[in-house]
Amino acid sequence: MALLNISEPGQSKPKAHSVRKRALGIDLGTTNSLVAVASEGQAHTLCDHEGHCLVPSVVHYGANGEVTVGDDAIAGGAEDSANTISSVKRLMGRGVEDIDYELPYQISADADGGMPLIGTAAGDKSPVEVSAEILRVLAQRGQEELDSEIEGAVITVPAYFDEAQRQATKDAAKLAGIKVLRLLSEPTAAAVAYGLDRKQEETVIIYDLGGGTFDVSLMRLEQGVFKVLATGGDAALGGDDLDRALMQWILAQAGIEEKLSYGRRNVLAAVARRAKHALTEAQTTEVTFENWQGTLSRDVFNGLIDGLIDKTIKACRRVLRDARVDISEIADVVMVGGSTRTPRVRERVAEFFQCEVHTEIDPDKVVAVGAALQADVLAGNKYGDEILLLDVIPLSLGIETMGGLMEKIIPRNTTIPVARAQQFTTYKDGQTAMSLHVLQGERELVSDCRSLAKFELKGIPPMVAGAAVIEVTFQVDADGLMEVHAKELSTGIASSVVIKPSFGLEEKDIERMITDSFDAAASDKEARALQESRVEAQRIIEALESALDKDGKSLLSEDEYDVLEQGMSKLRELIKGEDSSAIQDAAEALNETSLLFASRRMDSQIKTALAGHKIEEYD
Amino acid sequence: MWLWRKLQCLTSFYTSTDNPAVSRSENNHFNNYFTLFGLNEGFGLDRSALDSQYKALQSQYHPDKFADAEDSQRLKALQQTSLVNDAYETLKSPLKRAAYLLKLNDVDPEEHNQAHFGEAFLIRQMELREALETLSASEDIDGLEAMKAEAGKEKDTAVAAFEKQFMAKEFASAKSTYNQMQFLFKLLDEIDSVEEKILDY
Repeated sequence: MALLNISEPGQSKPKAHSVRKRALGIDLGTTNSLVAVASEGQAHTLCDHEGHCLVPSVVHYGANGEVTVGDDAIAGGAEDSANTISSVKRLMGRGVEDIDYELPYQISADADGGMPLIGTAAGDKSPVEVSAEILRVLAQRGQEELDSEIEGAVITVPAYFDEAQRQATKDAAKLAGIKVLRLLSEPTAAAVAYGLDRKQEETVIIYDLGGGTFDVSLMRLEQGVFKVLATGGDAALGGDDLDRALMQWILAQAGIEEKLSYGRRNVLAAVARRAKHALTEAQTTEVTFENWQGTLSRDVFNGLIDGLIDKTIKACRRVLRDARVDISEIADVVMVGGSTRTPRVRERVAEFFQCEVHTEIDPDKVVAVGAALQADVLAGNKYGDEILLLDVIPLSLGIETMGGLMEKIIPRNTTIPVARAQQFTTYKDGQTAMSLHVLQGERELVSDCRSLAKFELKGIPPMVAGAAVIEVTFQVDADGLMEVHAKELSTGIASSVVIKPSFGLEEKDIERMITDSFDAAASDKEARALQESRVEAQRIIEALESALDKDGKSLLSEDEYDVLEQGMSKLRELIKGEDSSAIQDAAEALNETSLLFASRRMDSQIKTALAGHKIEEYD
Repeated sequence: MWLWRKLQCLTSFYTSTDNPAVSRSENNHFNNYFTLFGLNEGFGLDRSALDSQYKALQSQYHPDKFADAEDSQRLKALQQTSLVNDAYETLKSPLKRAAYLLKLNDVDPEEHNQAHFGEAFLIRQMELREALETLSASEDIDGLEAMKAEAGKEKDTAVAAFEKQFMAKEFASAKSTYNQMQFLFKLLDEIDSVEEKILDY
């Protein structure tokens, strides 16, 4: 606790002591999530009362509207896969058409046809809302650990996440009431945690294979500055896919051809994961699924996953090329993400880069730790030797031009923040509006790139066709998020820009959700008040019952006894209902009525205590 | 409990242009990229000086250094850092640097007039393009490597010529050399793409 300065009256006011500002580092993972805090270069992950640090990224929606997250959701949802959402990160910023694998829950498209909605017992939920539930739990954990006000959080995202996926993450944080200090790339966060004590300059590869995403980042680490030279990956490739390959194999071995029910599929997934983990240490493992039993060897398993690993190696090659770095310049390879524990992955990566791969840091925690360290700095705590993180845009940003072609405005691997301006003109006399279709990707055709959003420019001063010069500035900030500004140059009039995201929520949707969540919070309060009044009423009834059992017959007349009995019945009935104020009133009334009984009990107890004693004894 | 601040709408903040074009606004050393990096305005470049100055500028202007500052300060940091990044990209690349220098001397590098290109140069362009197509179709990696080496040599020659012409203030010749550089750099990019395609990157 800071000591207070006390000054003489009339003296100038003492300066306020600067208090440490606290912030959280959040790893919102596909399979597991984590929250960590740091202070003065030391970070630690926050765990629950049972010492569990990882929070499974699973959300269960109960029929009564109850939402559970993490281990509780897995337990509670064991029988209810249709309402137990896992790996929601794979749906963030994606469209319905992107989902090319089976899911145990109902997916529908939202009104505008873009964003997928998950049908749950509590209504349709967007991936953003589901992610917000996970973030709330993590933030809660942070709040419980830290006494002081929390400035905000650094939330990590895969480096290869596009603009829509990043925006969805930021929206989820907004819904959860979290101020985002920075969206940090996962490999960069890992570099922070890993490279903190680097003294000499080195070029490293961060190979991050998580549950649902793969990132590879080539970074130059030197004192004071960590710069991403190039980044690549696959936002839809991860440990989940290794599991799926194994699941296919088991089904083939077991001769099962029919489509599995959600329940059977869940069991199969668990069996596959267990086998995968077992092979980390053992050379072979027994696998049982329903009536089938067999042996899985490392060789067979490696054969199943080599194709997926090939994809990651290809991304590694591309990144070296993009950065124009020769493979011999790579000093270290850092492995991040639970799936890098698979021996075959480590083997092939070491083979490709011709160097040792680093696995000594806990691949599950390193990202949250890095995020926490950065959060501590961004919260405003200055140490003088903070590392500056320079990141890049992972995919080229461009616009649709005539003939369905994509024109690149900002090429991939450009260091961010960055701004580029492009000039357009009108094609009709008096045209006052213009629409821009913004995309991300490397291909020539619009249809082969990711549609991000349509920007509608309004308020262009009416002029002769071709006379207006509208300068559109594309600004990408340090989070990798884009903003568009437009101005007509001859008049200097700025256009207003209305954003229509292709796979995301509009501003008004988020506002509505936040209001809805306030309403939900209000009804949560009511629910708690009801619960408390019930508990209190029950306590009164029990105390009274036990007292009546002992002394009721001897200290009360029959009428008086009946009155109390009736009071208790009435209260018992009310407890079954939902009216918490009625319960409280009735409980108070019963208390009042029983006061006479209570005072008689006191008298009789005193009499019993005093009986057989002389006054002299109390002197 | 949570501090929530929303960045104001940015409409009025963009006064200076974000293009590499030089703006004639107030005495702002962000105007001239060479001045910003403390380098002499010329084609020859001290790469290590550029890199170390880049780090220094980033340390000074990066938004992360203003994480707990006022919205307007953070916005300014965003703009300034974007400019620093653009300046660095421009000065780092010989092609972009050449274009920038021409602009600083009131020569529009993008002005394309067919008459300025010698016929020989145009024919050479066509020949090289056709050769590349053939190599691409036949997936001839060795031929591709040979072409890359040759195009690389021609590019280096052009770059040296530009430097000489620019120093002598022969801007018309410099511009025409710049256009040749444009073609050669683009060709090398295309050779890279074909190579990637063949090697299945």
